[in-house]
Amino acid sequence: MSLEERTVALATEQPTALQLRGITKVYGSVVACDAVDLAVNSGEIHGLLGENGAGKSTLMKVLLGLVNRDAGTIEYRGRQVEINDPQAAAAMGLGMVHQHFSLIEPLRVWENVVLGDVGKVDRSRACAQVEEVGRRYGLPIDPLQRIDQLSAGERQRVELIKCLRRDPSVLILDEPTSVLTQAESLELFSVLRRVVQEENRAVILISHKLAEITAATDRVTVLRKGKVAFRTATAETTAQELARQMVGRDVSLRAEAAALGVLPVERGGRAGTAEVESASAAVADLPPALRLTDLVVEAGGVPLIDKLSLTVQPGEIVGLYGVEGNGQATLGEVLAGLVHPSSGTVEVGGKVIDLGRPKALQRAGLGIVPEDRHHSGVVLDMSVAENLVFKTVDDVTSGGFISKRKMHAIAQRLATEYNIITSSLDAPVRSLSGGNQQRVVLARELSGNPSVLIAAQPTHGLDVGAIEDMYLRLRKAASSGVAVLLVSTELEEVMALCARVAVISSGRITGVLSIAEATAERLGMLVGGIAA
Amino acid sequence: MSATRSRGLAQMRTGWLIAVLSVIAVAVVAVLSGVLIAATGGSPSDSLDAVVKGSIGSQSSWSTTLLNAAPLLIVAVGSCICARAGTFNIGQEGQVLIGAMAAAAVTIKMDLVGPAALGVALLAAAVAGGAWASLSSLMLKIGGVNIVVSTLLMTFVAQQLITYAVNTSWFLQEKKISYATPAPESDQIPSGARLRSFGNYPNLQLNVGLFIALALAVLAAVVMYRTRWGFRLKMVGLNPFVARHAGIRVAGLAALALAISGAFSGLAGAVLVASPVGNFRLQPGTSHMFGWDGLLVALVARDRPLVAVPFALLFGVLRSGGNFIAATGVPSFIVDVVKALLVLAFVAPPALAKMMQRRASASRAAVVEQPAPTLEGAAA
Repeated sequence: MSLEERTVALATEQPTALQLRGITKVYGSVVACDAVDLAVNSGEIHGLLGENGAGKSTLMKVLLGLVNRDAGTIEYRGRQVEINDPQAAAAMGLGMVHQHFSLIEPLRVWENVVLGDVGKVDRSRACAQVEEVGRRYGLPIDPLQRIDQLSAGERQRVELIKCLRRDPSVLILDEPTSVLTQAESLELFSVLRRVVQEENRAVILISHKLAEITAATDRVTVLRKGKVAFRTATAETTAQELARQMVGRDVSLRAEAAALGVLPVERGGRAGTAEVESASAAVADLPPALRLTDLVVEAGGVPLIDKLSLTVQPGEIVGLYGVEGNGQATLGEVLAGLVHPSSGTVEVGGKVIDLGRPKALQRAGLGIVPEDRHHSGVVLDMSVAENLVFKTVDDVTSGGFISKRKMHAIAQRLATEYNIITSSLDAPVRSLSGGNQQRVVLARELSGNPSVLIAAQPTHGLDVGAIEDMYLRLRKAASSGVAVLLVSTELEEVMALCARVAVISSGRITGVLSIAEATAERLGMLVGGIAA
Repeated sequence: MSATRSRGLAQMRTGWLIAVLSVIAVAVVAVLSGVLIAATGGSPSDSLDAVVKGSIGSQSSWSTTLLNAAPLLIVAVGSCICARAGTFNIGQEGQVLIGAMAAAAVTIKMDLVGPAALGVALLAAAVAGGAWASLSSLMLKIGGVNIVVSTLLMTFVAQQLITYAVNTSWFLQEKKISYATPAPESDQIPSGARLRSFGNYPNLQLNVGLFIALALAVLAAVVMYRTRWGFRLKMVGLNPFVARHAGIRVAGLAALALAISGAFSGLAGAVLVASPVGNFRLQPGTSHMFGWDGLLVALVARDRPLVAVPFALLFGVLRSGGNFIAATGVPSFIVDVVKALLVLAFVAPPALAKMMQRRASASRAAVVEQPAPTLEGAAA
């Protein structure tokens, strides 16, 4: 009972702002939340940690009145309350910044901030308010800017201002750093610190990044499979302990550790690095599998990609690290043959590719795991088999007719090889889990025996097991001689997989570092656009 | 909705659910129609009797039904192909008219004889209908005009064009000897250009148009479901972004699908002009809603060419039977209302089933955490 004693002890120091007791939510046979207790005090940042499917979102949905609970009570400032809809939650002083921004892009900052208000729209007052809130919390923003001209970090500021202007007593942030640079994340956490310390509000920080939880929170509750697995004061625990509680087994694999964000980024002296380096030294004499030279893509006079040059050797994994929106998506489109650069060349295996010809890159041996799997990776309503073969459909076609038998044979082989778990090869890809969908994409792209594989955010939205599997498969592809370009915004991912890291900022490669050289400071400088 | 029930719904085979819902919906439509007919002073049993008599009650009424079904099926099959590519053509009525005009023009003007005349007529109609539909693709490419809007509006242009054609003496208006005022319609097309019918009145007559329609339905099904081209078409329809990634020329394929749909409609126009149902001549009313109804057939068949066959037949029944209903004193527009209700009865169940199942699975999927809006985790 020492756990509860500690909770009580903490609670006496600070008044409990919010107390959830025995919250249970059952969907069919799945128990999303199983008697979850959560106490959040005023003046603290409370971390809510858990894997995909641990019940974090459901719990918050219950709290915000988006989902009706099956059992349990909610107490707010010591009084039992009923929260039946989001309006009630807002009126009570619960504000949430969702992971996916809910801003209207063609509208201006102030318009988004006052959205949902009643009464007369007063532009100058709204603008003044935005600036006032911004000044108070160190969130500078021009209220007259349009949202679609803002970076992800600035958009988040708008979301925060929107929330804080309504003077919430409990502020909930769901994975707030997923699109932020490290500097922006630190900034965000200092704002949150001010919010709790100076104004005695409570903050619930939902995250799966251990580094964030340990750095930014006062107390932490770990959810696992719908139950509270662990709760403690953050100062009394370690990232390793939290990771173990979250996953429920020891974090052993480096890839997994990286995925969780607990990876102590070691410098030098790592066996793996030496191996990779000797391997890349051996292939350094070969022509690069992929060479990009002075690529330029412009849109309306603004360079999206600015004289970008990069090489990837066969068998090498090169990370393209940077914050989202710095040209990665455009580069992906160039390499998918969807966007034609205004100048520069793409060479695959030493041959310059004529980008004007359809499928030229694909024919030259380039496979792509695109950034947004649902948008451009799979056709959700087509079957697993169809999704596995659509790029190599010529191989199962004779005389214009597709042989279903051949298609199934190939699909079966790939499904077995890549351990794709599906009820049937004819089931729509929509019915697969995210990890299995991504395996379908990877299997398809590698089935064409590419010499180069572009993997853009390959682990986005996957759970730990699927991330681990993806890492193993990318490594395997590289060790079989494929040149892998890993486009990622997760530093840990790049560090775990790559021999070299190229940093992209504003469409330019600001530097290429070997992993041994890649210190957090140097990377941070490069990401910020300063050559180091 | 209780948890167990929703799970049962999600697991129930979609096909069965749709079938059950369809039977219920059709029963509701039958009752509604009866009430409607009774309310407008008719007798539901007499009306039903008339519909049956006029459509399937005798060999000659079967002939009329099948004659009506053929052009409906051709239009519907073309619409299926187009919809498969994710392009929603709703200008079939106009494309039918343009096809009919082309068929009438080449046969009357070129004075061809024998089977060549028929071949040329069908070909000209298909080309004209396809070209007419392609104007919408052109508008999309140049001005970004929405296909739905442009195909719809082009229908009204086509109607004006036909009216002009049959009122213009040098063009297609009928030639009259003596001083009689020529009617706003074309001459009959030469007999060599007409579609033959097998069998004699009052026995069952089968027009060649029906065979053309059935052959096209089978051909379309084979192409759509068995070929690489059909595979690509499906990809473009379901996810144009992935199709682009896979190296498919999406805009080109969509334009081709629209052109094919237009060509099918045009062909249906030729079949109308070249068979008794269109009186072998071009009239402003030649299309007589065949385009719209063909589109509805495709809609009800949910873009599957072979499923369109029975539905084209059903719509043929309603057309031929509908003409008989008037004799029982029921206003003929009641038939249109019943037709509309029937369309809803067949279109609504699949959508309803999808909604019910989505809701059922959504309540399960909600267990899953953001950000992946998939069954991740729940499936694992």
